[in-house]
Parts: sequence; structure tokens; C-alpha cells
Amino acid sequence: MKKLLLVCVVLISTGTFAQSKYQQGMEKAFELWGADKPWEAANLFERIAQAEPENWLPPFYVAQINVFNSFGESDKEKMIAQMNKARDFLNDAKSLTKDNPEILVLEAQLLTAWVVYDGQQYGMKYSPKIAELYQQASVLAPENPRVVLGKAQWDIGTARFFGQPTDKYCADIEKAIALFESEVPAGEFHPRGGGEYAAQVLQENCGN
Amino acid sequence: MRQNSVNALTKSVIFEVEIKNTIQLMILIQSPLKSILVNLFTLLATAWVGAQTTISGIVTAKNGTPIEGANIYLDGTYDGASTDASGAFSFVTEEEGVQTLVISYVSYEPFMMAADVSQMKNLKIALREDVNSLDTVVISAGTLEASDNSKVSVLKPLDVVTTASALGDFVGALQTLPGTTTVAEDGRLFVRGGDAGETQIFIDGIRVFTPYSPTTNNIPTRGRYSPFLFDGITFSTGGYSAEYGQALSSVLLLNTVDEPDQEKTDVAVMTVGGGIGNTQKWEKSSLSFNTSYINLAPYIAIFPDRNDWDKPFEAVAGEAVYRQQLKGGLLKVYAAFDSTNFKLTQEDIDLPEGLDFQLKNYNFYTNTSYSTDINDSWKLDAGGSFTISKNDILFLDNNIENRENSAHLKVKLRKRFSNRFKLSFGAEQFITDFTEDFRNPEFSDNYGFNNNLSAVFAESDIIFSRKFALKLGLRGEYSDLFDQYTLSPRSSVAYKTGKNSQLSVAYGDFYQQPFNDVLKFERNLEAQHTQHYILNYQYVANNRILRAEAYRKTYDKLVTYDTEFPVTNSVIQNNGDGYARGFDLFWRDNNTIKNVDYWISYSFLDTERMYRNYPVAATPSFANKHNLSTVVKWWINDWKSQIGFSHQFASGRTYTNPNVPGFLQEKTKAYNSLSFNWAYLISQQKILYFSVNNVLGTKNINGYQYPSTADANGNFNRRTVRPAADQFFFVGFFWTISKDGSDNQLDNL
Repeated sequence: MKKLLLVCVVLISTGTFAQSKYQQGMEKAFELWGADKPWEAANLFERIAQAEPENWLPPFYVAQINVFNSFGESDKEKMIAQMNKARDFLNDAKSLTKDNPEILVLEAQLLTAWVVYDGQQYGMKYSPKIAELYQQASVLAPENPRVVLGKAQWDIGTARFFGQPTDKYCADIEKAIALFESEVPAGEFHPRGGGEYAAQVLQENCGN
Repeated sequence: MRQNSVNALTKSVIFEVEIKNTIQLMILIQSPLKSILVNLFTLLATAWVGAQTTISGIVTAKNGTPIEGANIYLDGTYDGASTDASGAFSFVTEEEGVQTLVISYVSYEPFMMAADVSQMKNLKIALREDVNSLDTVVISAGTLEASDNSKVSVLKPLDVVTTASALGDFVGALQTLPGTTTVAEDGRLFVRGGDAGETQIFIDGIRVFTPYSPTTNNIPTRGRYSPFLFDGITFSTGGYSAEYGQALSSVLLLNTVDEPDQEKTDVAVMTVGGGIGNTQKWEKSSLSFNTSYINLAPYIAIFPDRNDWDKPFEAVAGEAVYRQQLKGGLLKVYAAFDSTNFKLTQEDIDLPEGLDFQLKNYNFYTNTSYSTDINDSWKLDAGGSFTISKNDILFLDNNIENRENSAHLKVKLRKRFSNRFKLSFGAEQFITDFTEDFRNPEFSDNYGFNNNLSAVFAESDIIFSRKFALKLGLRGEYSDLFDQYTLSPRSSVAYKTGKNSQLSVAYGDFYQQPFNDVLKFERNLEAQHTQHYILNYQYVANNRILRAEAYRKTYDKLVTYDTEFPVTNSVIQNNGDGYARGFDLFWRDNNTIKNVDYWISYSFLDTERMYRNYPVAATPSFANKHNLSTVVKWWINDWKSQIGFSHQFASGRTYTNPNVPGFLQEKTKAYNSLSFNWAYLISQQKILYFSVNNVLGTKNINGYQYPSTADANGNFNRRTVRPAADQFFFVGFFWTISKDGSDNQLDNL
């Protein structure tokens, strides 16, 4: 009878917890994102974020979708609204994890989006901050491919702006590509991948 | 904020769920086997079969337009959906009983509804626009913002260092804005017919008592503080908030940077001196300091000016800011010290050998401010400042030594009742202790005063809709020196007339005590008073701003006296009055021409006042009728350079010609000055800066000096007062050294 009781408890626990709505939700969100429905994915990540208030990943992805979609957004007001939303969720994510290179990279990307929005105004204001963020990230995680790639891209942009040679950063992009190939994500649903994008960046900047 | 409250709600819901689970487990464990099985089956049945509820509805804006992409969910659960193109949503939940349904969408206020899930069917929900969003009306009458974060920014903090005529002085950059008048020989801010002393400067909300370096006749002063320490500047030319008092014409609000970007060392080498700065950052705190040494001796040796300098202008200055994040708050301590000294002989029509003048000034200012969110809706700001200023002046054989010790203490509370209604109130105390010694071979005197002023203020912001907002304020002051109470109501209303345009109206009463130069001789006075009426129109779209403002100011209780300037035996009274009226136009555009940013300001001013030793009401010599300034900045990518021009035009200013009857009855010729600057980025970290003021070498006239007595024919032969130098050249090299070596000088551009 005791065994039966134990079985019951286990059954119930599995019924309640093991199939994990969190995993289902995250998988579904990535699926939507992959199916080119970023805003539905963002909404789902946002719903997961409020159901999982101690987990930095859902708000991180809400912020990331908003940042990525700000680049190339032609409606300036919409772009500002997205960047502000990204800032809110990035702050939420930040408060849940410490010294996280992924957060630093995303923050640098968010500030880069502001620079793209109005280079004259924000270029001057944010470039030192962006450089500082990549610097911090590469101290924390020198082997994180997204850190290596992001920093290399930023350095190339800056060098190009000042008319300096950019070739020395190509090695960094190649290093990032190698790191992407061997990358083991830090945990379930943790940021990963970006290898194809890195190859594209290499092609654009260092292709013969 | 919104996220926080949702999170808090979520937490409590989760907690309840956990309790339910635990209770069920306890029941299971305590029950006999049969009941366990029954319970188990019931549980499984509910989970798998029953109690699936479909929640559905439609989300629109207030005007009925469907909202696509809104996020709908049961708070604290995974159940939710997004709306489709018709605003419709539908999802299935296994939750039961009373739940909170949340609907959120960018730039709308989140909607929450607590009800039984079974009733959440065919909902019709209209979202309210979020009045915090970008396109909400802003109360703008009288205010010119220079900030990166503000919705409407006419000037950016970096403009201070990139405006050709400004030479890194924030006051110089503000002089290209509408509402100011060009008084080239003074260098301070003269706003809408007001004297320079009618403008007050605040750092982080705390008063600066001695904002300008002291100087003498015909040598313009500069603001004391480095523009790099500030990331927000609000310049109000009238109708400002009840939080600020003791300013008849204008307030200038400077906010220091909350958190510096990086650790770095800055080195500056200039034709007029040098400077070094350093910033250190720690996890929760940071320290920046800046020191500079300015000596005009080498420059004056190469380009002599109209003065005969015995000891050219020399200044040593240092400033430091320490910032510390405390639980939910930020503490900032700012301190600045500077010492100035110079000695010269100036031309004077009554003194063939010239007027000898020597000045030594020591100034120390410290300012501490603390800001914290007490909770979601209450915010506290508290702070204080302390100034010690010492002057030692020698002219001819007169020696004047004075000392001012001043302090300001302030506390302010803000309560946010909702996004649409906010209230702030506070109290402050100003304390000034001034003493002066006057000595010459025949006479000596010692005088001074203590001035204590207490104030309370309250202000409410009411936002009726994105289109319509109202601000009402009241300020009360008590002067211990005059035993006088004053009450100043302030109000402004803004209404959005179109997608990109708005109209604002403001009214205010302002009081200010007479200045130190009068108070030191006479305390039996009262506060000077003015009223502002302002009508403002603003159009902002695509990096273009058009701003037009009309105003009227009336003055009364202005200080008058019966001597040339106030002295011990002057009869000093509050018998003056006056008016100022006019309009200002401002246009800024950095969109039309690629890589070019330009702005144009025009101000029309009509003013007369009876004050000081005026025998009749007249237009003061610091007021010009027309002021036009044009600033252009052009970034040339191939040259890695920014080239800038700025042009100032000001119509003539009044002076008294004793050869004909009347007072301030004639006008000088108009003032024109074209300035040029060129900033060249040598590399990310090195910048070379070159500028010339008055490139064309226009011979400007600041005024005329007439002798105190007529010549043998009864004529007064005048001397033309020109600027000390027509032109000014500046070359500087700036180098930023930071850890990762890729940070750049762009932010100094």
C-alpha cells in the first residue's frame, strides 16, 4: 500500500510538473519564430515571462525579437516603441541574471539600433558605451561565439568609419564561426547558433 | 513598472496554486486507499477531460479600430494568444474559477479583468491609449529642452561643444536659441528683456549661487562648469514650474550624468592651456574628476588685444562627481573649485593713463543630491548645495574684498496616482551670508547682510488624454530679511492640434529679491515681481522642429536708486516697473540635407523699464529689438571632419548721448559675427579642433563712453567701446585614453 501511495504521488507529480508547460511554451515560441511569426513568438515569450518570473530567458527573447526587428523597421515611431519595449524586457532579464555575456551583447545591439535610428545624435552618445559592453562581455566570456562575432562586427564598423584597415578582425569572425560549430549551449533554451549569420558577415566583410 | 505589478500578481497566483497542490497531496496521504483512488481519478478526469474553457473576444482601440498582435493571457498561467488582423482572439484554458485576464499592446495601457473564466466569452475590449507614449502632448510653453531623452529636444547636449561660436561654454550655445539677446561684452544670459541676474541656474535641481566666473567691463564671462558632466539641459525662457523660484526671467536646469559610460583618461592641450580628466567605475559607484589650467598670456603675446594686460587671465579649476547607487536610489556628490586672477589697464575717457583693475576670485561649490523611488508611486528627491565665493578687487586705489557663503536645502516628493494624474510638492531653504570691505586712502567701510528665504511649492500634472494636458502649480515664499510673504500661482495647458503639432498657453507670477549689489546697502526693500503670459505653437516631425512663441511680461517693484550705481548713501527703493513683449521663432532641421544639421532662431523684443538710476522708462542697453542666429554643422565623412558655422546678428543697442536731450535715446550699429570651427578626427581617440570667432573681422561696437564733463565748447567727445579683440583663434588637441583602445573621441565632436 505504501508503494501504491508512492506511485500515486509520483503520478500526480509528473502529471503536474514533468511535462512542463515551460518547455512546451518555449518550444512553441521558437517554432513560431522559425516560421517567421516573430510577433506571435514575442507575445508567447512575454506570456512565459510573466508565468516564470524568475527565469531570465523569456524576457531576454522578448527583448531580442524587438531589437532584431528594429533593424530595418522603416516606421520611425514603431522603431522607437520596439526599442523601448526591448529596453523594458532587457531590464527585467538583467535583474534575474548577473554578469551574463548574452545580456551584454543584446544591450550593445539595442544601443546599436539607436545609432542606426539617428547616427548623428546617438552615434556620438552610445559608441563608447557599446565598446564598453563588448569589452565587458569578452572579459566574461572570451569563447562565446556571439560575443566574439558582435565585437568583431562593431570593431569593423568603427575601423571602417575611421578609414582604418579591417582585415585584422576577419580572424575574429573566423574564430567565431569555429566557436559556433563547437558550441555547447549553456542550458536548455539558452541562446545558441548564429553560425550561418557569421558566415554571411565574413562573406560581406572579408570575402576576397 | 507595469511588468513589476504583473509579476507581483503572478507571484501571488503561483503561491496559491502551490498551496492548492500541497493541500491535495496532504489529503491524498491522509485518506484511505479508496478515497485516494477516487481522488486520483477525479483529478485525472478534470485534467484530461473536463473543465476546458474557451476564452474569446475582440480587442479594439477606443475608436473601434481592431488591434492586431495584442497579447492576451491569463495572468500567471501559460494560457494565452495573440489577436489576428480583425482583433479577434480565442484560446483554451484548463484554469477554473476567478482568473485575471491581461491584454497588453505597445503604446496602450494594459487592460486587466478579474472574472470567472466561464464568463470570459465574446469579450469586447477597447484599450485606452497610454499617455506615457511618445505622441502625447507635452507642456512646452516657455521651455527649450536639450536632452537625449526628452520628447522634444531643440538642442542636444553635444551641441554645446560643436556650436562654432560657443567655444565649449554651455551659455554660449544657449545664446543661439530664441529668447536670448546678444550682449557680446557680457557673456551671461539675457532673456526676453530681463537683466542677466534674472536667470537662475540649477544643477540636479539645486541652485548654483555664483554660476559665472567674475570678470570686468567689456570682457565676457564664461559658465564655470564643464559641459561634459551634463546630459540634460532644460532652458526655460518663461512660465516655468512652481518648483523654481527667485528668477524673474528664466531658469536653466542642468542634470549631471547618472552613470558614466566607461573608465577613461582625457587629456586636452590647447592654445590657452590644458586639462586632464579621469573616470573610475566600480560596481555600484563611479568617480569622475576634471582639472584645467587656463592662461591667456602666450595667446595675448602673439595676438595683443585692446587691453593692456599686466597679468593676463589665469584660471585653475577642478571638479569632481561621485555617484553611488544605494538600494533603489542614487546619491550624487558634486564639487567644484576654481580660482581666477588677472590684472589689466583699460582705456577710460576720464583717465588718460587708463583704469587699473585687478581681480582675484576663489570659488567653491558643492552639491549633493539623492533620488529614490520609495515605492511604485512615491519618489523622493532631496539635496543641498553650499558655495563659498571670495573676491579681492583692486581698481585705481580702491580695494574691495567680499565674501559670499550661500546654501540651499531642498526636499521634494512626487506621487503618481496614475499615468494621468501626478502630484509633486516640496520645501526649500536658501541662506546667504554676504560681507564686503571697502577701503581707499580716504574712506573705509564694512557692510553685509544675512538673507534667509523659505519656500514651499506644489504642482499637479493632469493628463486628460493624449491630446490635452494641464499643469497647475503654486509657490509660496517667506523672506526673513524683508519679513515678506509672496504667493506665485503658475499654470499651463497644452493641446494637440494635429499629429505633429500642438498649442500651449502658460501663465505665471514670479518673485525675486533684489541682487547682492543692492542688498548690501539697503535691506528695507521687497521682492521684485513679474507676470508672464505665453502662447506657444510647436511642430515636430522627421527631425524637424518649428517653434513659435509669443509672450508678454509685466514688471513691478523693480529696484531704483538715485546714484550712478548703488553706494552706501544711495536712496534705494522698489519704485521701478516695466514690460517686455515679443515673439520667438525657432527652426531646426537635420533631415533635408544629408549630413547637415542647422538651426535658425529669430527673436523680436519690445521692452521698456524704469529701474536703477533711470530718470524715465527706457529700453535698457542690454536689450536689442532683433536677434537672429544661424548655426550650421556639416559632417564630411571623407575628411573625418565636422565643419561648423554660426552667425549672430543683433540690431543696435541703446546708449545715452549727453550732447542731445534724452536718455538711452540713441542706438549703436548692428552686431554681426560669423564663427567657424573644424573638428578633425585623427583616430578613434584623438581629435584636433580649430575655431575662429568673427572670421570676417567685423568691427563691432559694444557701446560708447562719454566723459563726465564737457570740453571747452560744451561738447562731450565719446570713446567707442569695442570688444577687447575682434577675433579669437583657438586650437586644441584632445585625447581619450580608455581600456580597450577602441573607444573614441566621437563623443567630443
